[in-house]
Amino acid sequence: MISLAGRDIMHAWGKFVFTGLGLGLLIGVTLSMAGIYRGMVDDAKVLLDNSGADLWVVQKDTLGPYAESSSLYEDTWRPLRGLPGVARVARVTYLTMQVRQGRREVRAMVTGIEAGGPGTPGWPPYLVAGRQITRGHYEAVVDLATGFALGDRLEIRRNQYTVVGLTRRMVSSGGDPMVFIPLKDAQEAQFLKNNEAILQQRRRTAENPSYNRPQVPGLLEAVIASQSSNPSVNAVLVQIAAGHDPQELAERIRRWQRLTVYTRGQMEEILVGKLIATSARQIGMFLVILSVVSAAIVAFIIYTLTLGKIREIAVLKLIGTRNRTIAAMIIQQAIALGGIGFVVGKITATLLMAPIFPKYVLLEPLDSVRGFVAVLVICVLSSLIAVRAALRVDPAEAIGG
Amino acid sequence: MKILSFGRKNLALLAVLVPLLLLFLFVAFRSGPLAPVKVTVVTVENRGLAPALFGLGTVESRYTHKIGPTISGRIRQVTVQVGDLVESGQLLGEMDPVDFEARLKAQAAVLARSEALLAEAGARVAHARREAARYEELWQAHATSAELREVRRQELLLAQAGLEAARQEQARGRAELDALAARRHDLRLLAPIAGLVVARHAEPGTTLVAGQAVVELIDPASVWVNARFDQVSARGLAAGLSAKIVLRSRPQESLSGLVLRVEPLADAVTEEMLAKVLFAQLPTPFPPIGELAEVTVALPPLPSGPVVPNAAIQRLAGQTGVWRLVDGRPRFTPVEVGGGDLEGLVQIRAGLAAGERVVLYSAKALREGCRLAVVAELPGAGKK
Amino acid sequence: MDGGGIRIQGLQKSYGSGDTAVQALKGVDMRVDPGEVVGLIGPSGSGKSTLLKCLGAVIEPSAGRMTLGEEVIYDDGWRVGDLRALRRDRIGFIFQAPYLIPFLDVTDNVALPPMLAGRSNFEARQRARELLQALDVEHRARAMPAQLSGGEQQRVAIARGLVNQPPVVLADEPTAPLDSQRALGVIRILNEMAGKFRTAIIVVTHDEKIIPTFKRIYHIRDGVTYEEEGEGRAPV
Repeated sequence: MISLAGRDIMHAWGKFVFTGLGLGLLIGVTLSMAGIYRGMVDDAKVLLDNSGADLWVVQKDTLGPYAESSSLYEDTWRPLRGLPGVARVARVTYLTMQVRQGRREVRAMVTGIEAGGPGTPGWPPYLVAGRQITRGHYEAVVDLATGFALGDRLEIRRNQYTVVGLTRRMVSSGGDPMVFIPLKDAQEAQFLKNNEAILQQRRRTAENPSYNRPQVPGLLEAVIASQSSNPSVNAVLVQIAAGHDPQELAERIRRWQRLTVYTRGQMEEILVGKLIATSARQIGMFLVILSVVSAAIVAFIIYTLTLGKIREIAVLKLIGTRNRTIAAMIIQQAIALGGIGFVVGKITATLLMAPIFPKYVLLEPLDSVRGFVAVLVICVLSSLIAVRAALRVDPAEAIGG
Repeated sequence: MKILSFGRKNLALLAVLVPLLLLFLFVAFRSGPLAPVKVTVVTVENRGLAPALFGLGTVESRYTHKIGPTISGRIRQVTVQVGDLVESGQLLGEMDPVDFEARLKAQAAVLARSEALLAEAGARVAHARREAARYEELWQAHATSAELREVRRQELLLAQAGLEAARQEQARGRAELDALAARRHDLRLLAPIAGLVVARHAEPGTTLVAGQAVVELIDPASVWVNARFDQVSARGLAAGLSAKIVLRSRPQESLSGLVLRVEPLADAVTEEMLAKVLFAQLPTPFPPIGELAEVTVALPPLPSGPVVPNAAIQRLAGQTGVWRLVDGRPRFTPVEVGGGDLEGLVQIRAGLAAGERVVLYSAKALREGCRLAVVAELPGAGKK
Repeated sequence: MDGGGIRIQGLQKSYGSGDTAVQALKGVDMRVDPGEVVGLIGPSGSGKSTLLKCLGAVIEPSAGRMTLGEEVIYDDGWRVGDLRALRRDRIGFIFQAPYLIPFLDVTDNVALPPMLAGRSNFEARQRARELLQALDVEHRARAMPAQLSGGEQQRVAIARGLVNQPPVVLADEPTAPLDSQRALGVIRILNEMAGKFRTAIIVVTHDEKIIPTFKRIYHIRDGVTYEEEGEGRAPV
């Protein structure tokens, strides 16, 4: 038996391929949507991976540092370092703010990283160009997505930073690219007001008679100095020595240091479960809509193609073709259409949509397989209308009428 | 049969479908998570390094002289302005004496009175001495009693003591007058050194407590940079090292300097070490005190050894190491990292030899043995 | 004649029920022997189409009997056997328009019925080529139907109708779109084939040009057939 569907497709392949292209673009958008969701989840995981931490120590009863603001005294790390099982600790600050370069402004998550060397928790784990920070001040490693290049001078608050390294895939949970600068600069950036505000505050302090006392020379200066310094960080990252249980250590810190501690699993739960839950629902909704639209298009196209062949189907039936054979022909065509659409969709999603999308799009092979199955199922289901129409064709129609 | 029946149309179909399929296969296996990771590779080479430390500091004066009155009072005049250069001993300002002259007159009167009392006591001694001499002669002539002679002797001793008291009283009065006169000198605020007026805190008419500064003076020759270095990376900081100083207001100008001393007291709160860096030559114009300066201290050069860029150093499972290229696949090799310079090169003390190839940049985090595509430069990494 | 061919007796067909019932066939008798080509002539509304559909095993008669060779197809309104398989294996169709499958080439159009009947592709094509040769269109075996002339298409359609060597072939106005010369050619082919494959062929037509060529004609009027023996008919 020859393949009727195959012959029909070969006969009208132009129509088929172009319809498949159109459907493919739709499927490409659908795959990209799924990729955006995967990308967000992956961004969250990469964010956690890149911080290199086993435990996140944050302000008591906050969801910090990514989902909520958290503030710790910067010397909080000292008692933590002494606990058995702690291999390394590093303080870190995160602040989403505008970073300027000339007249251009980029929204970025400025991350303050502890002095040390490559591999310190919080540091960018790998670069794509340049070098890691070597000076304790005024150097920055930026994510490619910021659009900055090596040697650029950035302005964060009132200090200028030189871009010495570029990295990739370092974004906050909101998708803002990260800018790594030394911790002390970041602390200053986080809490430093503009000069105008500082002057205003100094003036207010100086006008307060309790601070400006003639009998106590130097009091005013001391008060102003204490106002403008910032001894806070957002979180302390803890690496655990091999052979120690993160849960146990976390419990000990919670109990005795009276701080909130998150393990890797809990942090992922916060990022994925809380931060991107809304976006995930939106994307899920889009996926459903796109699936319905795809199904409608497939159904319409297959139905139209079938209606155009009513006479042939009547003849086929008259000369004794089984209903099964005719149904198979239609379903095979639908599947072929879906197949072309999927191939085109996968190509467009990977080569066209993912690179130009502003957020990271992760196209997982398993998702592609799932998408393929879904496309086939949708195609088969939407071809059922056409199958029903074909089966209702009366073989008598072929005879004179 | 079927193959033979492939006509022009079928060829056209193939021409569309085959590239589509090839593209699909390319997309499925050469991009996304299955694709090889793009990396750039660097060869480890032996070379010496010139390490350096980078810190921030503020321009400070070694000595700051805060000049103020020793007694509370109202200030009458301040003769210098901020920015004036003054000589040693130059008058800077004067306090208002208020009732000082009257107090001086009173003290002089007290002295005059004590001198009068001294004269009176002297007269009394002379009289007592004469009486005592006369009764002595009388007693030797047995013209009077021994008792009366004793009374006269006693009177003489008392008069002599009175005279001594009056003399001391007069000395006290004189000393107090001198002291008060000396205070008049203290009302004048004089420059202790030749220097620069950097602050003027009070204007004429202001009432000040003792010890409050009216003007501040510094010695321009004594300015230095109080530099702070992170304790983590301050290894090797020592006195005598040469340094480069860049003032914030003159970022293009690099001034040479010298580490004068490393402070024995570190800052425990900011976790920094402090060091004083002298200018080799005072910059002109004179830098404002308190200006921010970047200090780069050159450390003794490191001997030749295997060197990699610090971007190649990564951390995996608690170990610091590099991704070594073995048969085209990455293998994590723990290394011991030595000193580095500010340009991002670090020496490897152990674990790596010159000539080995290590992964420098990668488009994503590497895993042991994953597929690699070695490229000259990663996409997007080009300089503008 | 003997047991071959098609026979119907008292075939009735009515549509609807009750007062609105229309009796399309009121008792049709027909007999076509193997190798014989008969004409079926009737005006519109005479029940011609209904009769053709009953003959073609597409609709079932309400009453009457139909046998195909030895096999009883309908007996007093009861259907015996699988109509679809019957159409596939025992009845060939030739239509007014060729109704070739546009996406199959000439060979596969002809080879389709044997393939449906379960023969191998090779065997089916072999048979198709034989038929095409017999009908003198073998040179167009690779062509698609749209590339053929009207006459060629009709000959391919005839080949398809005959390829399974059915005992009976129904031809519905096979010459309608053709000029008289080609029409006569088609009838000549049908006659040849009927002789060659011992097939009973019923040609439904109202084409004046070809009516004289039939030896025997059934007229149908108001659901009743009348047989007319052809005397003095023009030779084919």
